[in-house]
Amino acid sequence: MEALIAVGAGIAVLTGAGAGIGIGIATSKAAEAIARQPEAKGDINKALLLGCALAEATAIYGFVIAVLIILFLK
Amino acid sequence: MEEFASDLMSQLESKVSFVIPIFGGIPIATSVVITWGIMLFLVILAKVMVRDLKMVPTGKQLYLEAAVGWINSFVADILGEEGRKYAPYLGTVAIYIGISNVMGVLGITPPTKDLNVTAGLAIMSIILIEYSGIRKKGAKGWLKSFAEPMPLIAPINVLEIFIRPLSLCMRLFGNVLGAFVVMELIKLIAPAIIPVVFSLYFDIFDGLIQTYVFVFLTLLFMKEKMEHE
Repeated sequence: MEALIAVGAGIAVLTGAGAGIGIGIATSKAAEAIARQPEAKGDINKALLLGCALAEATAIYGFVIAVLIILFLK
Repeated sequence: MEEFASDLMSQLESKVSFVIPIFGGIPIATSVVITWGIMLFLVILAKVMVRDLKMVPTGKQLYLEAAVGWINSFVADILGEEGRKYAPYLGTVAIYIGISNVMGVLGITPPTKDLNVTAGLAIMSIILIEYSGIRKKGAKGWLKSFAEPMPLIAPINVLEIFIRPLSLCMRLFGNVLGAFVVMELIKLIAPAIIPVVFSLYFDIFDGLIQTYVFVFLTLLFMKEKMEHE
């Protein structure tokens, strides 16, 4: 049972992969955009930060669920 | 390792500092006591900073004006001039979350590590978001805004009232908790020097970014509520 709980928590944390890919794509596009239009840096940074916050949320949910699994199924 | 795991688990729970012995005992959580400490600190700071203000700023007043001006223009950039009246509340929230996130550096448990604190902040945010919509468009216009862009997706718009605070609350809580757990693990492996480098990232940088994101998202949601006709 203990091992299965650990496996479940591990699977929940896999959401981090999606967030990583998402933030990576967003950052690469932002870098491209800034290279093309350095004067729009401020606006691009704001949009990037918003996108990162939303993409990162999925990873955070995975982490919170993993912690909850460990805490409540123990 | 077993001992460390149980130690970590006990630190994850929100603890009760003391109990007020009236009405059968009111438990006061540690996060509340630390919040009182932050409040005291901020009140004293405000008292000291606003002493003898001058027309032509010098010294500490320059920093004060720069900070207040930054918060005001940050709010006004997104909400427009009319949104400036929301700046004091949002600035207060930003200062509180910022200080409590960075407190981990001093070895004090950040209050934002308690889910109840972030839930409270998120509920206040959603009330402000809906209030700003009602204030701008009137109760009728606010109700009508749920049927935008088409009446079919009204249920999703109503659901958003619950999803938005949940995601605000979980984002802040999860980030602070995650940083805390990672820092504890690093301290277990390397007790000296190395944690300092990681502490810079996890406690200071991540804490401030999350503060910014919390206020920024609240502002964006407010703008959305106030915007389309």
